[in-house]
Amino acid sequence: MPSEDSKQDKQTSAAQAKQVIDVFQEISTLLNADLDRQTLSICISLIENGVNPEALAAVIMELRKDAEATKRRLEAGGQ
Amino acid sequence: MSSRSQRVNNGINSLVRRLMVEIPGEDPAAAEERENDALDFVRESLENSTAPAVVADVNQASDLIKKRLIQTNPSPDKALRFTHLYSRLLSIPVITQKWAVLYFLYQLSDQQQRTPPILTSPFKSPVKNVRGRRNIEDVIPGSPSYGSRRKEETPADSFAPEGLKRLPEREGGQRDRKDEEQAFAKSVAAQRENVALKTALLSENYVEIDPPETALLRDLPFTLQGLSSSHLPFSSESTLKLPSTLPVPIVSILHTLAEPSLLYRGLATFTQSPGGGLLGQSLRAAIGGELRSYLGLVATLEGQIRRALASLDETEPRGGIGKAGVTLKRCVVWTREATMGLRLMSLISEESKSKKGGQLISLIHGFSSSHGDPMVGAFAERLLVHVTRPFYDMLRQWIYDGELLDPYHEFFVSEQDPLAINDTTDGRHRGVASSVWEDKYKLNEDMVPSIITQDFAQKVFLIGKSLNFIRYGCGDSQWVEEYSKAASKELRYGDTATLETWIDEAYKTTMARLIHLMSEKFHLFEHLKALRNYILLGQGDFIALLMESLSSNLDRPAGAQYRHTLTAQLEHAIRGSNAQYDSPEVLRRLDARMLQLSHGDIGWDCFTLEYKIDAPVDVVVTEWGNRQYLKVFNFLWRIKRVEFALASTWRKCMTGSRGVLQGEDENVTKAWKLTRGVLAEMIHFIGQLQFYILFEVIQTSWEELQTAIKKEGCTLDDIIKAHTKFLNAITHKGLLGAKKKKETDENTFMVQLGDILRLMLSYRDAVDGLYSWAVSDFTKRQGADVRSDSQGRRDDDDGLSINTPATTRRGPRHLPDSTPALGSDESIVDEFPVLQERLQALGKHFKSKVCVLLGDLLLQHDQDMRFLGMTMNFNDVYVPSTKKKAPVRQSAREQSKSSAKA
Repeated sequence: MPSEDSKQDKQTSAAQAKQVIDVFQEISTLLNADLDRQTLSICISLIENGVNPEALAAVIMELRKDAEATKRRLEAGGQ
Repeated sequence: MSSRSQRVNNGINSLVRRLMVEIPGEDPAAAEERENDALDFVRESLENSTAPAVVADVNQASDLIKKRLIQTNPSPDKALRFTHLYSRLLSIPVITQKWAVLYFLYQLSDQQQRTPPILTSPFKSPVKNVRGRRNIEDVIPGSPSYGSRRKEETPADSFAPEGLKRLPEREGGQRDRKDEEQAFAKSVAAQRENVALKTALLSENYVEIDPPETALLRDLPFTLQGLSSSHLPFSSESTLKLPSTLPVPIVSILHTLAEPSLLYRGLATFTQSPGGGLLGQSLRAAIGGELRSYLGLVATLEGQIRRALASLDETEPRGGIGKAGVTLKRCVVWTREATMGLRLMSLISEESKSKKGGQLISLIHGFSSSHGDPMVGAFAERLLVHVTRPFYDMLRQWIYDGELLDPYHEFFVSEQDPLAINDTTDGRHRGVASSVWEDKYKLNEDMVPSIITQDFAQKVFLIGKSLNFIRYGCGDSQWVEEYSKAASKELRYGDTATLETWIDEAYKTTMARLIHLMSEKFHLFEHLKALRNYILLGQGDFIALLMESLSSNLDRPAGAQYRHTLTAQLEHAIRGSNAQYDSPEVLRRLDARMLQLSHGDIGWDCFTLEYKIDAPVDVVVTEWGNRQYLKVFNFLWRIKRVEFALASTWRKCMTGSRGVLQGEDENVTKAWKLTRGVLAEMIHFIGQLQFYILFEVIQTSWEELQTAIKKEGCTLDDIIKAHTKFLNAITHKGLLGAKKKKETDENTFMVQLGDILRLMLSYRDAVDGLYSWAVSDFTKRQGADVRSDSQGRRDDDDGLSINTPATTRRGPRHLPDSTPALGSDESIVDEFPVLQERLQALGKHFKSKVCVLLGDLLLQHDQDMRFLGMTMNFNDVYVPSTKKKAPVRQSAREQSKSSAKA
């Protein structure tokens, strides 16, 4: 039954991954990191794949700033 | 790899998509372009920074987060919650880069708080958060009025380097204290809020000080380097002048800051001062190194101060200094540890003035090993590494080369001044080589640093001494050089165990070499054996032959002894005995000579046999040892001589008793009988004495010496000690021991035995006199017989006499016959009673002396000596006593008996 085993493994690992993301999300709310679950999971996977966390944080902040700027512009444009 | 980059790409794409803002009404091409721009930017920035700037450590990231949480929240529940989450996270095995995620989250959290430069995150005050919430108006009652400027002069501008001597008096202390108590009573959180409030209040109610804190801060780096500045000038070597216009709290802060400055100044002058000795210099160098690192600290401090001052916002309260992150108080905190170090160093430098060498190391080692503060310990340990360097250099030179390289007398081994040795010799003059071993170097107990034990120091001392001795005493410097080349190692402070093994190794090698040299090259053991054989009369046939051949010679007065005859006889004795098989090396050293002669001595008293010992061996057989040997030899020689004399007399008597000594006179026969008895006693005495000395004393001590010097791993010192013990044993047990408590000469065995031996010799002389009297008497009687025979013949011729054979008539006829001859032979006849009396007196004297001696022997502690008394008196002939009465009574009885018989 190797296929079933691997299936079970997958299941457990998926459960664990969920757990991890839960934990991280709680920490992020504690820290006011302002990340939703999806973004957080993307970031975690990126970091797991060897992306520099510092750079990632910088990038996210940059993107947020951009987004904010666009929003503000849009609002201004809307008004 | 490709799948990974693929995944990264996918992740980036989705991330960008999530974070992009939808612009309603934007055409899709522009949107795509915008998205692509963003993607490019993200990829680029992610690729450019591959290596993380922080160390990959889960704990560090979590610590950072915890700190942040504690700082931002007055209550600890969030931090607690995080700790829970964190431990749960650690238990999940899925993710490998936990720290990275944590760090990522940390970076993303509450950005707006991190805008001011974080210099000291632990000291970050919580003001900034609290300030917004709190209203400044709700003033805490009794807040101290520190802000008001003090009109008083600062109490003391100058202070000692130890710190503040006199505290400025506190104003309104009572109220203050109460307030403090209240503060302490509150909970931690409340207190923190309180502090924050106070800080806020202070910065709001801040009153300008003159000179301003910024100016003081600007001057501070110079002050810390011990340089005068416009506001804080050094008025003298150890005083710093503070501006008198400052309020008390600032003054007290400046006092604290002045301490390292003044200490630095003192230490800087100390490092410049000429060092007393190598260790002093190395101490100065080590302190100099520490001062350099202190200056490094000051430099970074200066950098911080400059940066803070440059970014100052003049419009803020307190000149904006509260925000800059660098204040005088913070400088105090930063320099605290350095101040401790400086304090310790200045203490060491003060104490080092009266110490040198090993004591200096002991001093610093004392700090590192027995000071309770671990920081002080670590600091002293660090200093010690540098300070001990010259010491270990010296140690290395000493244990690998045997050379003392110590120009300032700092090592615990010191070379003795030869002149000083001569002054201190306590009467016992030593030879040159022995002083190389015993006196050339000295172990200075109080210079042994505490990093090595006393035992160890002894070992080191012995190693160096041995090497030096091998080099100079034994002339084997080649070996020493090879050894030092092969074994020399760098010694340094720290690994004591390794050092010990090295030194043990060196110790073993050196000692083995020295013993090897002594036994192989210098034949130490052969010499010892020869000493025993010749000087201690171990070689019986040789001594017997020597005595026989010398006896006629030595009977003559000492002045008539000639060296060449003595040496010739010696040579003869060697050739004629088994001594001839001994090695020529040994025989060469044997010499016969006369001691200094005094008037009236005969050859016997002065003759001595000598065994010459030269350079390295006389370390063991010292001058003193040689004298002991001579003493023992002289004693043994005298005993031998007496024995020899008694034996020859005894022989004469025995042969004579069969011929010339036969006489009818009962008196004479009786006298002879008594004489023979006394002679036998004497011979017994001498025999026992000799047996005791040769077998009980010398042989047993010799065996002990042999086992001691044949022992494995025995050092030269051990040999010397064993040999000294041997000599002491034979001189003490051999009745030659120096007088101890009883200073009266009469009581030492040496004197007693000398008396007894002299008595024996005079007795022998008397016996010889008796013998010659008997011989002359015999010849006279023979003459008388012949005369009476001829007379008888004449009588016969006359026809008057009764016919009697001459042989049977001799006795009874003697008496009437002697009367007419009395006139002519009076002198010979008269001699007999005199001789008899003399013999009796001597015999009596001998007996009493022996009794005293036996009495003394019985009182001895040594078992062997008591045993000697036992063997001499095995059948209780003598009545041993220390009192003079007993022998007198006995002799009196004897005298009465003999007189009755007479």
